[in-house]
Amino acid sequence: MPPTAEHKASPSGRTESWFARLNITGLLARQGILVAFVIFMIGFTVANERFLDPDNVMGVIRSSAILGVMALGVTFVVISGNLDLSVGSMMSFSTIVVLDLHDKIGPALAIPAMFAMTLCLGALIGFLVGYLRLNSLIVTLGMLSAIHGLTLTYSGGKNMDIADKEGTWFGVFGQGDAMGIPIPILLFVLLAALLGAVLSKTPFGRKVYAVGGNGVAATFAGIRRARLVFCCYLISSFCVATAGLIQASRSLGSQNTVGQGLELEVLAAVILGGASLMGGAGTIFKTVIGVLILGFIQNGLLLVGLQFYVQYVVTWIIIILAVWLDIAAKRGKLWSPIA
Amino acid sequence: MKLNSTLASATAVLALTAAGGVAADTMKIGITQNNVGVDSYQTTYEKAFIAAAEANPDIETVVLDAGGDVARQIAQMEDLIQQEVDSIIIWPTNGEAVIPAVRKAHNADIPVIVTNSNIAEQGFDFVASFSGPDNITQGSRSAEIMCDKFKASGIEDEARIVQISGQPGYTTAIERAKGFEDRLPEVCPNVTLVETQPGDWNREKSQKVMEAFLVKYDDIDGVYSGDDNMGVGALNAAKAAGRDGIIFVGATNFSVGYEAMERGEYWGSIYQSPVDDAEAALQTAVDVLSGKDVPFLNYFDTPKITQDNMGEFDKPVF
Repeated sequence: MPPTAEHKASPSGRTESWFARLNITGLLARQGILVAFVIFMIGFTVANERFLDPDNVMGVIRSSAILGVMALGVTFVVISGNLDLSVGSMMSFSTIVVLDLHDKIGPALAIPAMFAMTLCLGALIGFLVGYLRLNSLIVTLGMLSAIHGLTLTYSGGKNMDIADKEGTWFGVFGQGDAMGIPIPILLFVLLAALLGAVLSKTPFGRKVYAVGGNGVAATFAGIRRARLVFCCYLISSFCVATAGLIQASRSLGSQNTVGQGLELEVLAAVILGGASLMGGAGTIFKTVIGVLILGFIQNGLLLVGLQFYVQYVVTWIIIILAVWLDIAAKRGKLWSPIA
Repeated sequence: MKLNSTLASATAVLALTAAGGVAADTMKIGITQNNVGVDSYQTTYEKAFIAAAEANPDIETVVLDAGGDVARQIAQMEDLIQQEVDSIIIWPTNGEAVIPAVRKAHNADIPVIVTNSNIAEQGFDFVASFSGPDNITQGSRSAEIMCDKFKASGIEDEARIVQISGQPGYTTAIERAKGFEDRLPEVCPNVTLVETQPGDWNREKSQKVMEAFLVKYDDIDGVYSGDDNMGVGALNAAKAAGRDGIIFVGATNFSVGYEAMERGEYWGSIYQSPVDDAEAALQTAVDVLSGKDVPFLNYFDTPKITQDNMGEFDKPVF
């Protein structure tokens, strides 16, 4: 970036830059999605005063944590310029596996075993996309159904339930709390902080943006793209395993289809947060906002008590409005036809 | 030709009366199932169906599974017609889309038995019999279980309940909700159903829905769920929020629901056995083929199960 551009960003020097940054247009342009989020929160609060009840807010964040943890990993994959549609199936897999192993080898061994198996799936996808250079949409769409089949084969189609629900400490990841904060939220926040730092503060994170933004240039800059893409899928599968752990621990039992359809919700949250499907753009913070918007919309519509046929439509309208507000803020105008 | 068929039916009758008699003409029955393996109910159903067929030496079966795919199910119907089976049992993947295939079998003089969930009404003319649970009765029985419990607790005049229904658009979901909503005011006219939201047959989704209900309403006395999987999700939400004394009633008693009943946390449900379902379907096909008078809607019984009488029932395998 040429130095003049930086000067333009704060034209009147240090003393006024504080104020300049606080102006509304600037805020909108940088954080359109955050503004949209605040607007919806106010709207729902007006419609039902219980919406901002601390118990409700905690509840929504806790139940968004599973989706959220998965979205963190997918953010890496999307920024690196690929897609991951396998996360829903993979989450069902992790959940079923850890529940099954819990009764066979005990929770202390079941958890690492489940993580290892899930990471193997991530490694397989990373290998196919990174080293064989297959299209990520095709690979992960295929894995969506392949892993579903694997899960059904593994479980024989049965619901998986922990036999002794009272006598296990396994429930702590989904039901426990520390200092009044539910553990799923803590895990979500910790993982978001960690992955956010990796993405924005480390050389690895910068390489993720570089590969997604301009792959050829990244190669010329000496970045090993295959290895980087491989690592992004590993991160994604690690997040899925964590989500599966929370899910399994929360209900101590599960259907085979527990994660079905989540891949699209995850992708919606990531895109809603402003990550570009073309790669190279997006942040962990914005993904978290995207996840929360989806969670609070679902909850808000339930509290308002709209008939559920209407809810599907309203959900769509709110998402489109949020994306529009975000993009309009970036462009500086609402009306923007394809020229 | 005529002689042949007379002979055939004569031997069939013989075979039926003289149990396990000389190698008679076997009945070849084909079945195309909805989606085996997607849940334990369907998995158990298939096992029970095969076991029942093997136990009867006069039956030969062709067991197929559509994997939830309408197109595949239609192709399977055509295969079965080509193979000239004597009867076809279908567990429809879609109540509308399979009708042309059912008509084709009907036109080929192959009696079609629909199992578990019926096809749409415009296809009834091509169906010999429907064998399955009566979801409307299930819904109204759940209403009775709920109401009886309210009366026993003396709150039948002020109780407020919420409903978590199955996936919107599913016949089973619609019929159970209708049965419940119609019956409840008849038995407990002063109980208020304050809200209904779908839980999509999904435990986690139902837990979320129930969390929202608990925030929204300070006073909930009962929860009716379209199946036990959703009911247990709602129960988990209430337990997490520390709200005691809510009466949970479901349908399709799952093992998780049965266990929750054993713990005294879940009041009652409707006992629907996939084994009964499978055996009833096979028996209906056999009855139709041996010329018995079979009612068009051939329901198998799905009794009430509560904490009081659960000892009479085995724990569900699914």
